[in-house]
Order: sequence, then C-alpha cells, then structure tokens
Amino acid sequence: MDEFHECSARANDVQGCPMCTLVGPAGSTYCGSCGAHKHDGWDDSLQKTWAWLVTSILLYLPANMLPIMYTSFLGKTTESTILGGIVTLWEHGSYPIAAVIFIASVLVPLGKIIVLVWLCISVQRGYTGAHRHKTLLYRATELVGRWSMIDVFVVGILVALIQLGSIMNILPGSAALAFAAMVVTTMLAAIAFDPRLIWVSEHTESENKEPPE
Amino acid sequence: MTALAASRMVCHECDLVVDIPELAVNDKAYCPRCSYLLASNRPNAFSKMFAYSVAALIFLALANAFPFLSLNASGHEQSVTLPESVAVLFNEDHVLLSAIVFATIIGVPAVLLLGIVYVSIAIRLPQGLPGTRRALRWSLNLIPWSMAEIFLIGILVSFIKIVSLANVALGMSFWAYVAFTVFLILVLINIDRREVWRRVQAVRNG
Repeated sequence: MDEFHECSARANDVQGCPMCTLVGPAGSTYCGSCGAHKHDGWDDSLQKTWAWLVTSILLYLPANMLPIMYTSFLGKTTESTILGGIVTLWEHGSYPIAAVIFIASVLVPLGKIIVLVWLCISVQRGYTGAHRHKTLLYRATELVGRWSMIDVFVVGILVALIQLGSIMNILPGSAALAFAAMVVTTMLAAIAFDPRLIWVSEHTESENKEPPE
Repeated sequence: MTALAASRMVCHECDLVVDIPELAVNDKAYCPRCSYLLASNRPNAFSKMFAYSVAALIFLALANAFPFLSLNASGHEQSVTLPESVAVLFNEDHVLLSAIVFATIIGVPAVLLLGIVYVSIAIRLPQGLPGTRRALRWSLNLIPWSMAEIFLIGILVSFIKIVSLANVALGMSFWAYVAFTVFLILVLINIDRREVWRRVQAVRNG
C-alpha cells in the first residue's frame, strides 16, 4: 500500500474524466463538462482488453506465417513472409534496416502482447507492488505499439511503386492485412486497458471482503 | 503569455486526486505518484495550435496534389501521387488494407486537424460554435491513430529495399508530406487537455 492510497479519486468517491480531466462525482456515465463517456466500469476494462488481446494473438499467427507480399520478376513469382524479408535484408548487408524491421514487426508486437497479458493477470490476481514499473511498462506499450505499422506502409509503397507491367510487379499478400489488423487490435487492447487498475488492485481486494463464490 | 489558474484534477493513469498549482509559462505539472504529465503551460499554446494546424492542412493538401515518388528502372519511368498509391492497393482488391493505409496517413490526421481548427475558432468567438465539445473529443481520441511519422520511416525503409533494383526519386509532394508531419507533431505537442477543455467550457458558460 503506498502513501498516496488515501488520496485516490476512488477512495474519495469522486471520478476524474479521462477526456477533459475535470473532477466530478463517482458513478456518472457521462461527463458533465465534456460529454465524454466515462469508463468507470473497472471490470469492463479488463474484459475488453482480454477480448482485443485474444484477437491480436490469433491474428499474430497468420501475420507471420502467410506471405506478406508477392514479387513477380520476369514472369517468376516469389513470395516472402515478414521473417523472410528480414533475413533477405540481413543477407544483403542492410543490417540497420533489418534490425528496425525486426524490432518493429516481430519484437514490439510480441512484447506488447506479453506485457498486456501480464498486466491483466497481475490486476486480476491482485498482485501488488511495482506500481511505478507497471505504469511505465504500460506507457511504453502505448507509445511504441503504433510503430509496428512500418511494415504495412512498406508493402503499400512497394506495391504502389513497382508496377512495371511484364518486367516486375509486387502484390500484397494476405499477411499484410492480418498484420495491420494485429497492430490495430493490440492498440485497441492498450487503449481499453485502464492504467488506474494497476493502482487500485490492492483496495479492490480489501473492499471485496465477502468470500468469492 | 499568462500563467494558468490552479485547478483540481484526477490523474488519468493512477487515479490520484491532484491539486495543480498555478502554472507559470513553461511550467509543467507531473503526477506525484506515477509521474504522468498532467498539465503544462507552453507559451502561446493556443495560437500555435491554430497556426500549425492550418499550416499542416495546407501541406497535406499539397502532399496530395503532386508526384510523391518516382521510379526509374530499365527505361521505364513511373511516378505516383499519394492518392494514386492508395488507389493501387484498392484496385488490387485489397480494399480493407487500402482503407487502413488511407485512414492512418491522410484521413485521420485531416479530420483531427480540422477538428482542432474548428475548436480554435470556437474558443475565440464570444458565442462559441455548435458541436465544439464533440469536435474536440473526436480530435483527441483520434491522436493515436494518426501515423504520419511512421509512414515517413516506412518510406525510408522501402527506399533501401528498392535501391538495388531501380532509381527512386522523391517528388515535390514527399517534401510537402514531411512538412505536414512536422507541423502535425507541433500541433500535438501544444495541446494541453486541461487548458483546452477549460477554454471550451468558458465559452459555453459565457
């Protein structure tokens, strides 16, 4: 339990609006000053986060296993996956770009999913401690997650530029959409997660004194 | 340049009730518990927000009007504009993919900036404008979905991928898009939720 526990909005029966920052009474669904829908449903947040997370995990598989683009050169068509593209770049000696794509397309989505799953579990199980670190991790996932879209844009640009009739063509593969959808759903998961849950897990425990069914 | 009045707010990240003191110019207020940036007083934030939004919108329009990239490979020369490059995806039956790309690099930033311009005008008029609160809510909610800066890095990466195959040249519109991205980031830096909402509120009650 930290020193600020007594000063939380929840302990004082007030509620801050995440949209306009104004303080109002707890329990109202819409903010009186800006009209935004307030997410005071703390449990709702976890459920939504889980739903988006499961969706993004399911999308992660086709995004990495199916081809992200088809390159046809003089009538011969080759397909490449995200990992395959990184390997090709590495073999051609473009180490920094290979590293950027590897971090943005493989590490970031995976790390983001792992962090959010862990945060959800730690809130549900009522793990306390390390609040600051958990909050920092959450902020990092929110900040970095968008950058995974790089690969989708790369495919978009290559497809748009390389349309040279019979000589060379590039077409997007089905992994491109799966990957874009995966990035969107992980972002939705991060937005759905309410970071305040990290800090209230301890007094939700003490409030729910009645034994679980 | 004026100081911002004190107010009470709740930290969005950790639910702490914080009394923000009066903020002098260039002051920032962080949450004492989780160190989230709660409020800041950037000099002339409202004028900058307005001016940069208009500049960004003008550059976005220019970015759509001229050749964006051009390619020269074994005698074939080809240049595409930004809308054309989205249209290629659309025509290849990747409708959803083209929608995501269009939204994140053009649509969302445009709507976001128009919303900010609308709000900026509304808070300068004594009688306000209808739907100001909705416009501001929309703009603020759209911020994470605008990916102009990520698109620029994507262009850089594609360049390196193509460079061994063909000569690629940057068109006029590419530079317009770079300027648009810079102004967009400047707009986002100068938005202070607490103060923007206070201004909107002041007009409505006034």
